[in-house]
Amino acid sequence: MVRIRLENITKEFGDFKALDGIDLEIEEGEFMALLGPSGSGKSTLLYIIAGIYKPTKGRIYFDDGDVTDLPPKDRNVGLVFQNWALYPHMSVFENITFPLELRKVAKGEIRRKVAEVTEMLKIENLLDRYPWQLSGGQQQRVAIARALVKEPDVLLLDEPLSNLDALLRIEVRAELKRLQKKLGITAVYVTHDQAEALAMADRIAVIKDGRLLQVGTPEEIYERPRHKFVGGFIGNPPMNFLNGFADRGILRIGKSTIPLPKEYESVRGEVIVGFRPHDVEIGEGIEGEVYSVEHLGREQIVTVSVEGEMVKVIVPGDRRFEFGDKVRLKPKKIVLFDKKTETAI
Amino acid sequence: MRDIETKSRKSELLIILTIVIASVPMILAFSLLVLSSFSEEMVTNLKSFRPTLENWINLFQGKMAITGSIRVNIFEITLNTLIVALGVAGLVTIVSTLAGYALSRMDFRGRKHVMIALLVLHAFPGVALIVGVYLLYKLTLPQDPDLMRFYSFFYVILARGALEIPMSVWLMKGFFDAIPWEFEWSGIIDGASRITVWRKIMLPLVKPGILAVALFAFIAGWQDIIYVRTFLIDQTLATFIESNIESEFSHMPLIAAAGTLYLLPTIVFFLIAQRILLQGYSGGLKG
Amino acid sequence: MLVMVLIFYLIPLVMTVYLSFTSMKNWNVKYLFDLVGFYNYHRLFYMFQHDPSFKAIVLTTIVFILITLVVNVFGGLGLALGTFFLSDIVGSKFRLLWLLPRIAPIAVYSLVWYYFFHETSIGTLNSILMELGIIHQPIPWGQIIPWGAWSVIIFVNGLVGVSFGMIVFTSALNQIPKELVIAARVDGASAWTISKRILIPLLKWHLLYVLTWQFLSLLTTYCHLFLLVEWNLVNRDYGTTLALYVYNTAFLGGELDQGLAAAVILSVIGVSGGFLTLKLLGFEKMMKRPRGDV
Repeated sequence: MVRIRLENITKEFGDFKALDGIDLEIEEGEFMALLGPSGSGKSTLLYIIAGIYKPTKGRIYFDDGDVTDLPPKDRNVGLVFQNWALYPHMSVFENITFPLELRKVAKGEIRRKVAEVTEMLKIENLLDRYPWQLSGGQQQRVAIARALVKEPDVLLLDEPLSNLDALLRIEVRAELKRLQKKLGITAVYVTHDQAEALAMADRIAVIKDGRLLQVGTPEEIYERPRHKFVGGFIGNPPMNFLNGFADRGILRIGKSTIPLPKEYESVRGEVIVGFRPHDVEIGEGIEGEVYSVEHLGREQIVTVSVEGEMVKVIVPGDRRFEFGDKVRLKPKKIVLFDKKTETAI
Repeated sequence: MRDIETKSRKSELLIILTIVIASVPMILAFSLLVLSSFSEEMVTNLKSFRPTLENWINLFQGKMAITGSIRVNIFEITLNTLIVALGVAGLVTIVSTLAGYALSRMDFRGRKHVMIALLVLHAFPGVALIVGVYLLYKLTLPQDPDLMRFYSFFYVILARGALEIPMSVWLMKGFFDAIPWEFEWSGIIDGASRITVWRKIMLPLVKPGILAVALFAFIAGWQDIIYVRTFLIDQTLATFIESNIESEFSHMPLIAAAGTLYLLPTIVFFLIAQRILLQGYSGGLKG
Repeated sequence: MLVMVLIFYLIPLVMTVYLSFTSMKNWNVKYLFDLVGFYNYHRLFYMFQHDPSFKAIVLTTIVFILITLVVNVFGGLGLALGTFFLSDIVGSKFRLLWLLPRIAPIAVYSLVWYYFFHETSIGTLNSILMELGIIHQPIPWGQIIPWGAWSVIIFVNGLVGVSFGMIVFTSALNQIPKELVIAARVDGASAWTISKRILIPLLKWHLLYVLTWQFLSLLTTYCHLFLLVEWNLVNRDYGTTLALYVYNTAFLGGELDQGLAAAVILSVIGVSGGFLTLKLLGFEKMMKRPRGDV
């Protein structure tokens, strides 16, 4: 198990800057999710850790060793691809043993290791089958088995669940996390699904346009986004944003005003206020008009139009709202962002 | 392929070196030919390169030998070659565009058989055909000398073009297949006739395919020697070179110049149509 | 298209088959109805047994096809795999270079090798070897029978055919998901191991396709050989394959009727080979029916 340290990683593909000065530390045995929209550079970062890409600038350390110029095989990493990349002409057994064969591991040893890893992933009775005879979930297990069988120091996963259907995904993600904790292996997990990242990761690194916006535990990321984008990307529905003007502890939004909490008392000027749909009470506060209502059983999502901007609010399912109802929203927890830089104040 | 970036350069250099070594004779042989055309003597022996433009001047003036008065009109010969190549290209392009569309889009009876037949025809020994084709030629050749010349052009284009038809039709069919049906349907729903749809929607979309087919047909017509020497009464560059090798009076570097001239379009295609060359062949051969 | 197929394939085909049962000579129409049954085929067989020249041709055909086939298929595979592991730009430059033999005018291509293997000291090969002191007299390579002549024709045609395999294999390789290769790389596989264990097994069908297809085209190819033989670069008997034999008998004077018989035999091999290829490749798969009732 290793600790991974990335120092000022920059990657350029021709004129395109895929990654821009990423600094990140991943602790030993930690489950780190790299979260971002497609094209954000998160997979590129994973491939740099794996050694498939070479950073244009910056260094990578495993523990204290500089591995920047090492090829993947000398880094001892296990990699699981989005499409699993199982060799179609090899049986499950051959697929799993392939990495060991390349290392010229003795036959008996191979058998033992395969037995161990397949038992752990509950695929021991699939060994004679071929990839096309397996379901998506099974293929995914085989891919993980192939990555784990060589006992890597780091397990790298590139959206391994995105090819599974929604229900299976939720089942597998719990299992995957259990497995990682059981093995105590350092894992880096790339995903564009914020729910997946929140559910599985010890810490999440949010990446956008090749920049690292925030690193933190799921709770920190959720509760205290450092950047407007993080707030808007995480949570379902995501954070609401309204333009406002802060002055001496008062926030003015359109015609309405709400008091600011203590830590924001000194803020003055144009700001963006962000609040979670869960953290809103309907009562006193910001004036708006009901735009639409979606029932989700126990609760409902009410979209409210405030000065032409849409705000989503989650309220208990027993209250009735009609289109056009005038409501007042009172955010319980807010985050203020700078209007220009969109970073948290 | 985009391989891992951290691997050692060594294996890559090894591959490059191997391919380069394997390519040396080919590069050498071709460049010596081109070089010889600018030299007083053949430089195929890797010696005695004395630069001169005389070969080219003589070639264009049609002076075949240093002494003597054997004269040819190289422009006419080149023009003949060009007529054949363009004729084949035009013919093949038109036929295969129409046939490719039909095979791709219309479900007529015998469609499958036509397609199988095309593939099998492609595997058919050209030499077995050319004999029969020649007999047909003999039987239909007009007696009037002028007409005969014209007919020989006409016939060689048809015959050589026919040889290219099966693969070109398959290639075109592939290009048509790649166009979603929805484009065509929406055109028809908007009230356009099938022919209008074909002209206004399909044709622009398969332009790259047409270009590829035309290019390959042109190359085929340009490079051909067998059909040209069998049917054509006039000389082309191919038969010109064929007949002047080893004849006592001909000056070898001059033939090299003719060869280089003949090679010119190939080189031009290499420079401007690399993508079509590499991809077009693969598209056609995949079937 | 159908008309062209009819005129330039079907009618000639029927004619060829028909003529092979007549005593056609020198394109003289008066022999057109002189039916002789299987006489020509018998004579061909008889010649194979007793005419050393014809025997040489048959032998040459077999050796030429087999060795050139191997050169073509494995050369093409090697080039495709080799360039696959290079960056796209470099790789495609090499592939383009190897298209040259296929695209260059046949006369120029043959001319180039004519000078290369020329029997005097003007020949590039001879002058290199003499310069290196390996030989002291120019060697007429193509006249050494059988292997000198065979080597030259195999070399010249081998280069032409390589590009076919190369292109088919390259396009097949490009359809293999890159992740398979990367995954193997991460596990520490070399280019050689990746080729042997992953890429080549996945190219099985393409190998078969190229093998049968290339076999057919070698069986029927003769245009390069025609020039090499005509220019006397290679020995007449050991530089001629059956296809060329047919052409020569037909157009350079000779026993046309026998040539026709040989042509029919070639065609039978060709057509059955063609069908075999189609069977192997699963023709049905390629036959997507058009949609809609337009």
